[in-house]
Amino acid sequence: MLTCKEASYLISKKLDDHLTWRDRIALRLHLMMCKLCRGYASDVSKLHVLMRDSGEEARALLPDSIKLSEQSRERITQALSKQTKHQLDNNQ
Amino acid sequence: MTNELSTPEQWLEKYGDILYRYGLSRVRDPGVAEELVQETLLAALNAKNSYAGRSTEQTWLIGILKHKILDYFRKRSKDKSQVVADYEADIGQDDYFDRHGNWQENDAAWLKPDQSFEHEQFLSVLHECMGGLSPRMAQLFILSELDGIKSEEICKLMSISTLNNYWVMMSRTRMQLRNCLKKNWLDQ
Repeated sequence: MLTCKEASYLISKKLDDHLTWRDRIALRLHLMMCKLCRGYASDVSKLHVLMRDSGEEARALLPDSIKLSEQSRERITQALSKQTKHQLDNNQ
Repeated sequence: MTNELSTPEQWLEKYGDILYRYGLSRVRDPGVAEELVQETLLAALNAKNSYAGRSTEQTWLIGILKHKILDYFRKRSKDKSQVVADYEADIGQDDYFDRHGNWQENDAAWLKPDQSFEHEQFLSVLHECMGGLSPRMAQLFILSELDGIKSEEICKLMSISTLNNYWVMMSRTRMQLRNCLKKNWLDQ
């Protein structure tokens, strides 16, 4: 009989890899009887799906209110124009 | 038809924030994320002629940024002091179970099926919770979950010695994240 701690490890491992048939059956039995572990399994798999979907769509998972600061924009603009100038000089 | 490229200054204008958020959600350090945006745009400027116009500008720029992020992770994993410090941070946080291996807390799941993940507030909480992970756990979670990189690849990239260690770390990371989300999202 699995403890909840062991079950939580298998729940996580199942998202990343295959379980052996022994582990698979043990986990299924435990989940049938344990509501808290069912809740845990449901939560981490929702998180898993959210992360995968976001990654595939190249979404950042950060609120839009987070922005590049004015100072760093300034710095990057300078670095870009320096590089552009350098390229132009080389082409001449 | 090929897509015309805009000028580097327009890139910064149009995609600066998108690239920054993309980078920040992965490297988790504002200074580093800014640096990566700059490196990406400079690399894009140098590679301008090789842009084939097959993908949109944004996809092209994010593709360059992805490489920069992996390089950054690779370099950081070589820093052994970092590795040791993070391993230590990973130990000793098994407060979720009692000594019999049963859950300490007695409440149910934090997410109802219809709750929207897109919610700005949820994203802020998730961001906060990821910030509470050790840098190594956060990096592991991001590479695996967000970027879908294979376990074996991540072990190599992050100098994790065995797959078993990888599963243990992933399990702890999920546990900690879920606990934090449960506390800060549901109880609002």
